[in-house]
Amino acid sequence: MSTTEMEIGLRGAGLVLCGLVAANFVAAKRWNYAENLAAADTIVRQIFHVHCAYIIAIISALAVLCLGWPELLMDGPMGRAVSGFFGLFWGSRVVVQLTYYDRNLRRQDRGWDVFFLLVFLSLAAVFTLAAFA
Amino acid sequence: MKELLEIGLQIAGWSLVALCIGSFWIPKVLGWREKLAGLTPLMRELWWTYSIYVWGSHVFFAVLALGFGDWLMGGTGAATAMCTFILLWWSVRVWLQFFGFDFDEIPDNATNRIAKGLLTLLFIGLVTLFAGLVCWNAGWLGGSR
Repeated sequence: MSTTEMEIGLRGAGLVLCGLVAANFVAAKRWNYAENLAAADTIVRQIFHVHCAYIIAIISALAVLCLGWPELLMDGPMGRAVSGFFGLFWGSRVVVQLTYYDRNLRRQDRGWDVFFLLVFLSLAAVFTLAAFA
Repeated sequence: MKELLEIGLQIAGWSLVALCIGSFWIPKVLGWREKLAGLTPLMRELWWTYSIYVWGSHVFFAVLALGFGDWLMGGTGAATAMCTFILLWWSVRVWLQFFGFDFDEIPDNATNRIAKGLLTLLFIGLVTLFAGLVCWNAGWLGGSR
């Protein structure tokens, strides 16, 4: 795969990541995070919100990097290390989806389940390829 | 200054390794399993997923500090951006430590007080180090430019 094609792939991944950031907010509403956490201890609620915010921050930063400076993700050992990390990040997300999340819940929303599996799989593929480009 | 930042990166890297290892005890010490029992399965699954990914990010920061110190101090735009991102990450964590989290539910014993003190010290140290690295990369400390 040429550098130009890889850059196009990374820019595409950037757009997908923007969609994922938006999806986090939709998911919070759809699965009633606020209601479901209302009865939990304050510290549990706070840690959940903090971790959620940090994940959104890291995905947003990656989206900015992919859209603005995709060449950096293939540039030298550092760029490849970052790409490799995100290849693992999204690859492990596929494994989490398949092995950890509640099967009944996934069955109820099979369309979205498959859609997000494909999204995570594509992101894992793009970043892994960038790491070895 | 360069030597100081290099030593700082080594200390930060190994401190993050200690944090990542110590994180395995946090769920037990803070009784997460019991506290999470009342949540729906999805919320519990999301909780653990988010926690593991945040932990994974800390592992990556440790790898960066220990394995890519020269790059982090290289004075490039990318190095400045990465240091700024990590600076923001830990600055928010310091703010949360003092003004965000409600620690009233955590048992007030000597172990928890020491752990909280060490964590606060680590977060402040990381903010100081990465602020220094941002300044170094920008050339404000007689650095790389």
